[in-house]
Amino acid sequence: MSFSLLLKDFNHVLVEVLTAISPVLVLFFIFMVVFKLPKNMLLKLFKGVVFAFAGLALFLQGVKVGFLPAGMQMGSIFGSLPHRWVLIPLGFLLGFVATLAEPAVRILSNQVEKSSSGYIRSNIIMFTLCFAVGLFIALGMTRVVYGIPFYYIIIPGYLLAIILMFFSKPSFTAIAFDSGGVATGPMTVTFIMALAVGAADRIEGRDAIVDGFGLVALVALAPIIMVMLLGFLYPDQENNGDEADEMDQVSIDETENNQLNDRAGPGLPGFISNSVSGGRNQEEPDRPYNNNETAIGDDCGKEVSSNDRQDET
Amino acid sequence: MFKDMKEILLEVLMSIGPIVLVIVLIQLFMISTPASMFWQFIAGSVLVTSGLFLFLVGVRISLLPIGEMIGSELVSRGSLLFLLLAAFVFGFVITVAEPDVRVLAHQVDIASRGAIESGLLITAVALGVGFFVSLAILRIILGIPIAYLLAGGYILVVIISFWTPPDFVAISFDAGGVTTGPMAVPFILALGVGATSVMGGKSGIADVFGLIGLASIGPVIGVMILGVIFG
Repeated sequence: MSFSLLLKDFNHVLVEVLTAISPVLVLFFIFMVVFKLPKNMLLKLFKGVVFAFAGLALFLQGVKVGFLPAGMQMGSIFGSLPHRWVLIPLGFLLGFVATLAEPAVRILSNQVEKSSSGYIRSNIIMFTLCFAVGLFIALGMTRVVYGIPFYYIIIPGYLLAIILMFFSKPSFTAIAFDSGGVATGPMTVTFIMALAVGAADRIEGRDAIVDGFGLVALVALAPIIMVMLLGFLYPDQENNGDEADEMDQVSIDETENNQLNDRAGPGLPGFISNSVSGGRNQEEPDRPYNNNETAIGDDCGKEVSSNDRQDET
Repeated sequence: MFKDMKEILLEVLMSIGPIVLVIVLIQLFMISTPASMFWQFIAGSVLVTSGLFLFLVGVRISLLPIGEMIGSELVSRGSLLFLLLAAFVFGFVITVAEPDVRVLAHQVDIASRGAIESGLLITAVALGVGFFVSLAILRIILGIPIAYLLAGGYILVVIISFWTPPDFVAISFDAGGVTTGPMAVPFILALGVGATSVMGGKSGIADVFGLIGLASIGPVIGVMILGVIFG
């Protein structure tokens, strides 16, 4: 392996990521003009955008030079084995760990914990997604190995999702469908697709392109069903959570209005400094993102106090 | 700040560690991988790990706050029409910018044997996302339960699927997944958080989430309709 191999086609990746981030950049510049943020704040935001850009580019490149070839190779070796069924448990295992490595999965889980005031923990959402994707990749591998038509799985699957929706709690429904879009990220899609295409290539009568395609759709469907099922299992504290949430909304609303009334010149400094530094400089750690195991009840209280912080500004 | 960084680093190691471990174990014990390929995988893992770390730091210090600010500002300042229009434009633009959408367009080009060219597909998908994102915002404002929209959308999908050529069914479901990439997700999520934070008491978690889910239906319907017309 040479160093140049690692950077193969890196310029394509850079262009891709730059294109993907461009809408954010445009909004950022509009922001600069409209809100007249303090300079150090702007600098911090801009630095973050650059970090996100560089990070995503490195991530995608790593997936391309490291995980894509490994997936292809593993798929074709296991596909040519006499007992191909090993692809099924292997699919579960790899689906599980690939989802864990998906950037957006981590972000969604953290946002869920934050927005639900700790009622739905980020780890629970994350492992539900991992389990769901693993299970459905195993199903997808079964399909590839035994040649089951795609609709036999996807159409009943979505019908099941629609039926579940009518019994599921609204908050879990919303999170479930978001998770579907989130689970299909660069790691899962590239790696698992490579695995399936590698395997389908070795098994007679399988079309690598069609079989590879279907797997992504299954990955999108898996979390939808599983997160709604999780909702049924979840202790029924929904009402408490929602009430706490409503209090939050109101208090933020009031803060916002006060600020709108108060401010004459520079737009929204209080709210912005709060959401940017998010209490990071305060003694209390920024709870939404840390994964430490605090009791649910405690969290509700903390959320309110975090809003008090906003009032102080 | 440093405490945060340490936390993120730990998250990243816990995310990437398992997949690397599993693949390394498989490569070492179940299949005999050539050494060069093994080291290439290790090098790729290092890139992925450092990349994810930078990305998560960047998302936290900028993408989430920017999204939240824009979300709350749009709602508290703009008129309804402006808000819906902004949502539409935003959904459209972020889809056109998504790299995976272009890959999809290429695949569709092949599946349709050139009948559906990339430009047409990208436009169809982006229109689908734009329409559904503004629908999602309208839903939050009017307080329509998300299940109604999702059910309506997916029932429509199932119905159209009966007329859609088989090749297109798989591709169209894929289309729903690929349009929401890692750059768009944190941004759309934050937009939802920001928007609902200023809407007053009626909104809860059910309103914060769901934007991405609804946005994923648009492309499915868009590609299926193209399949029915051209397939």
